[in-house]
This record gives sequence, C-alpha cells and structure tokens, in this order.
Amino acid sequence: MQLFLEQLTNGLAVGGIYALIALGYTMVYGVLKLINFAHGDLFTIGAFLGLTLLLSLGLTDHIGPVAGIIVLTLMVMGLVALIGALLERTAYRPLRTSPRLSAVVSALGASIFFQNAIMLIYGARFRVYPHDLLPTTSISLFGVDIPVMRIVLFAASLVMMAGLYYFVQRTKTGTAIRAAAIDQGAAKLMGIDVNRVIMYVFLIGPALGGAAGMMVGLYYGQINFTMGWVYGLKAFTAAILGGIGNIPGAMLGGLLLGVIEAMGATYISLAWKDAISFMVLILILIFRPTGILGERVADKV
Amino acid sequence: MKKRLLLTVLAGLLALPLLIGQAHAQVRIGLMAPLTGSWASEGQAMKQIVDLLAEELNNAGGVLGQKVEIVAEDDAGDPRTAALASQRLSTRGIVAVIGTYGSSITEASQNIYDENKIVQVATGSTAIRLSEKGLRYFFRTSPRDDEQGLVAANTLKDMGYGKVAILHDNTTYAKGLADEAQTLLKDSDVEIVFFDALTPGERDYSAILSQLRARAPEVVLFTGYFPEAGLLLRQKKGMGWDVPFVGGDATNNPDLVSIAGKDAAEGFMFLSPPVPQDLDSPEATSFMTAYRAKYNDDPASVWAVLAGDAFNVIVAAIQGSGSTEPDKIAEYLRTGLTDFEGLTGTIAFDDKGDRVGELYRVYKVDGEGRFILQP
Repeated sequence: MQLFLEQLTNGLAVGGIYALIALGYTMVYGVLKLINFAHGDLFTIGAFLGLTLLLSLGLTDHIGPVAGIIVLTLMVMGLVALIGALLERTAYRPLRTSPRLSAVVSALGASIFFQNAIMLIYGARFRVYPHDLLPTTSISLFGVDIPVMRIVLFAASLVMMAGLYYFVQRTKTGTAIRAAAIDQGAAKLMGIDVNRVIMYVFLIGPALGGAAGMMVGLYYGQINFTMGWVYGLKAFTAAILGGIGNIPGAMLGGLLLGVIEAMGATYISLAWKDAISFMVLILILIFRPTGILGERVADKV
Repeated sequence: MKKRLLLTVLAGLLALPLLIGQAHAQVRIGLMAPLTGSWASEGQAMKQIVDLLAEELNNAGGVLGQKVEIVAEDDAGDPRTAALASQRLSTRGIVAVIGTYGSSITEASQNIYDENKIVQVATGSTAIRLSEKGLRYFFRTSPRDDEQGLVAANTLKDMGYGKVAILHDNTTYAKGLADEAQTLLKDSDVEIVFFDALTPGERDYSAILSQLRARAPEVVLFTGYFPEAGLLLRQKKGMGWDVPFVGGDATNNPDLVSIAGKDAAEGFMFLSPPVPQDLDSPEATSFMTAYRAKYNDDPASVWAVLAGDAFNVIVAAIQGSGSTEPDKIAEYLRTGLTDFEGLTGTIAFDDKGDRVGELYRVYKVDGEGRFILQP
C-alpha cells in the first residue's frame, strides 16, 4: 500500500509536467488543427533561458529564492511566449492556406532548427541548475515521504492550468479562442480577429511549456538540448489520450499518463514502461477514438 | 667529356629525389579518431596525445633510425565515415593504425584493415565480438566488457554484499555488462533482488527508485551512462535513501558530480581503467609531466590515453621486430610483447589481440566531488 501511494505521488508529479506541456499541443491543435512539433523545443528553451536568467541576474540573492523564482518564471514565460508568437508568424502563418502537410513539415523543420540553435549557443554538454536553491525537506503523508518541492511543483502546475481554464472559459478572449476552434470562418463573420486569436494561442501555449521547462530544470537540475524530445512526445501522447483539442482533456491525459507510467513500471515491468503507456493509448483510441474527454469531430470534417 | 659531364649531372638530378627520399624516410602510423561529431572531445584528445608521443619519439631519434609521421583521418564517430576513413588511410602507406573510439565504429573498419594487411590497435572499443572474429591484425588496448563484468561481480562480492539490485538502460553496452555481472553473481550465491532497465533521457527516476527501495537491496549496480547515474544519485538522496551505488566505466565523467551535486555523489563507486594521473609508474609520471607542459591540462578521458598506449605498443613492435612488415609487427605484438610498461599499466596481448590482465580499478567519489582511486 505504501509503495502504491508513493508511486501515485511520483506519477502525479511527472504527470503535472506532462499536462502543462500537453496544453500547448492541444490549444494549437484545437484552433489550427496543427501538431506543433516544435513545442517540445520551446520547453527546452524555457529550461535554458531560466538557467541563463538565474545565473546572470542573481535575483534569488536580492529578493529571496521564492520571490526570485516566481519573477524568473514569469520572465521565462514571457520570453518563450514571444518566441512562440515569432514561430507562428514566420513558420506557420505563411502556410496557413497551404495543405496541412506543409505546416507539419514546417513544424518539424522548426524543431530541428531550435534544437541545433540551442546546441550551438549552449553546447552539447549537460547544463546544471544550482543545487542549493530549493529546500530538500520532505513531509510525511500516510507513511509516504513526499519532498515539499514536489508538492509545490505540482501545485504550481495546477494553478497554471486552473488559470488557463478560467481564462478560456470566462474571458472574452477565451470565448473568441473557443469560437475560432469550432469554426474559423464563422468566427471571422462574427467579427473575431482570427489572426489575433491564433497569436494568443501561440503566446499562451509556449508560455506554459517554457514554465514547465524551467520547473523541470529547477527540480531535476540537469538539462540538455535534447530534453524536449522525450517530454514533447509524452505530452503529445497525453494530449491525444485526453482528447486532442480539449483543454481539460490535456490536463487529465497528462496526469493519467504520469500515473500509468509509474504504476506500469512498478507492477508490470520497468523496461516496458513506455510500451505500456502507448498500449493504453492505443486501447483508448480503439474504444474511444476521440480520446477520453474529446468531443465528436464529425461536424468539423 | 662534355657529354659525360652532362650525363653525370642528369644522373645526379634523377637521383636527387631518391636521396632526399632516403633522408626523409619515415614510418607512417595512421590515426583514425572521431575528430568531429558527438564524440569529438574524445577524438581531439586522442590526437593530442598521439601527436605528443610522436613528437617525443622523433626528438629522441625515432624508430629504426627513421622519423615517425602521424596520418590522421576523421571517422566522425560514424560507421559509414569510418569505412571511408579506413579505406583512405589504407592507401597512404601506413604500417599500422591507431583507433578508434566506439565499438560499432571500429567494427566498420576492421575488415578493411585486415584485407589491406594493416595492423590495427583499437583504443575505446570494448565489445566482446570485435576480437572473436579471428582477425590476424586486430589488437586493442582497451579492456573487454566481460572483464568489466567480472571485476564488477568480484568487487561486489569482496564488499560482502548479499542482496544486489542490477539496473541497466537497454543499450548494448549496459545490457551486456548487466547480464555478465548477473551471471557471475548468481553463481556465487549472491541474491539478485532486482534486474531491469530504465529509459535513458528522462528526468524523473523516482518511480524506479521507489520500486528499488521496496526490494531492499544492500547495493545497486547501475551499468548505464553518467547523465542517468547523476540523476539517480540526486533523486535517491532527495528521498532520503542511503543505499550505496556502484557504476560501470560509462559513469567515469566529471559531469556526473555536477548533475548529482557533491553531497549526493559522495560515496558513489565506479569501475574504470585508471587514468595516468592516478598511477605512479615512471611511464605515467613522465607522460603526465609532458602532457601538462604541452597542453596545460589533464587528459580528461582514459580512452584517449589508451590511444597513446596504442601508439607506444606499435612503436615497440616495430623496434622489437626490427621491421615495418605487418606480419612481423602482428607477430611481435602477440608473442614478443610481454610486460610492456604503458601509460595505463602493464600491456601484453593474447592470441585474439585482447589486452591481458586486469585493468579495471575501483574509484570512489569523495566529499569534494573528486574521483579517488581505491587501493
């Protein structure tokens, strides 16, 4: 029982990160029907920018670690959001009327570009966040020791997800995003500036992905230029699992994927961990092709 | 008279290149190394060391009264480029070749050198199969994976551990080492409480560590590479579990400590061939002095130093056999070379061309993050 609870917390912590990244995939897909393959690399950029700012600004010394990290995370989110918007402007917008495949190829190209750019700027070796930044205390819950930072990390990702959900459901811009996701043409007729909506999507998704990158760097320490690949793939899987295009679906899919991985590794086989996750994905797609929370898309096609 | 003078001058002119050629007669030794690509740091270090040794040798008069010239080719750490590089080197009149790093890269070049009758001394290629093909001209200064498995098993047994967990990462190297160690440990009544693989490239290994802890091993043998080892140590420390970890030679990298943090890395042990800065033989000491004087640094990797050893044994074989013929060099390496003092210890080769003797040592990370050679 203790092992089960321990693995549940392990899975939820990893799943929270997957969910944050998955939101970027799902929002872009919802509005543009495009899989943004460069999203995982935006996550990597977040991790590297976070490290650069952390080391160069010395904010954590001036205003304390907690405030420093919050300010740095916001800065990283802003910068990665700008890069995301720039990506949309240069790599996707010119191709918006082209066949969908062109945009997919462009996304792959952008991913390769980002990866090589990071490697050339920061080098191919592993970079490491400072070790003494975060407290390493644990608290005991039901006989399971959980590091405090892990709870903070999970809470932070929940807060960001909740904020996004509120934004999309309750604000005017959020409503416009949802409208554009349902039918861009009709949204345009209703006076919605679709270009602007898409720009918002490319600001918000990368901001969350960048924050996730910074969080991963802070908590796990080690970052390198290829880290976005594994996380991107997992988050993409999570988005499909939950129902791509659906925001609560991405959150649920991410958390679920993290827990499936941890449980599969424990009770079935460690080496088969990823295979198990993808088996679950395939099973869900067979019995519920739109993902767990996905809506029927018949009216869109 | 005039005619005769003309003839003499002409003959002299014709002979001139020959004479010059005679004066510059050289022994050409090839170096195939990953000078670019993802292992470029290894390849560059290999070249630095071989260049240094060749320079020293030439200053001391060369071999058989001739200077040694190093002909370097880049294999980019890629099997296809390595095949091209070995073909190019084979046409350039080399008597022997040093290299290369990476078993699959070496494998791509083995047959080409064998067909061209060029002695090859590999330096960072530990896969067992390389020397099981019965190639006459193939040697290596690096140890084999099965030797490391044996040393790993013996080390764990000597420390008196009864319950061992083995974790690998499914790469050919790590899986092979884990299998080897498992077989040997089982034979000696050590209980293997865990044997499985992690996925390299991830960040969170706490699910694996939780599971490991539930099996209560007395020691964990991790046979993968340093990035994962660093994360495992760090996360193990984070969950307050203080089981000892032992790693293979792929964890011998200073980045391990920066990833794990000094306090989490402290006490970690790994197996590796020794670097010359840890040996007090006169060969190692004088090499280190010369290396520091020329490059103002320590050689980072043992695999580069093994390239220096390859150069030394080739020169010793040419000297010892008094010939630059491949058959004589190979024969000398196989039978004539005994107890040769190399940069990484004593060198001799067996029938297959593998290095004889136990090369692996145990290292332990101290509180300052330094790698300390264990007695």
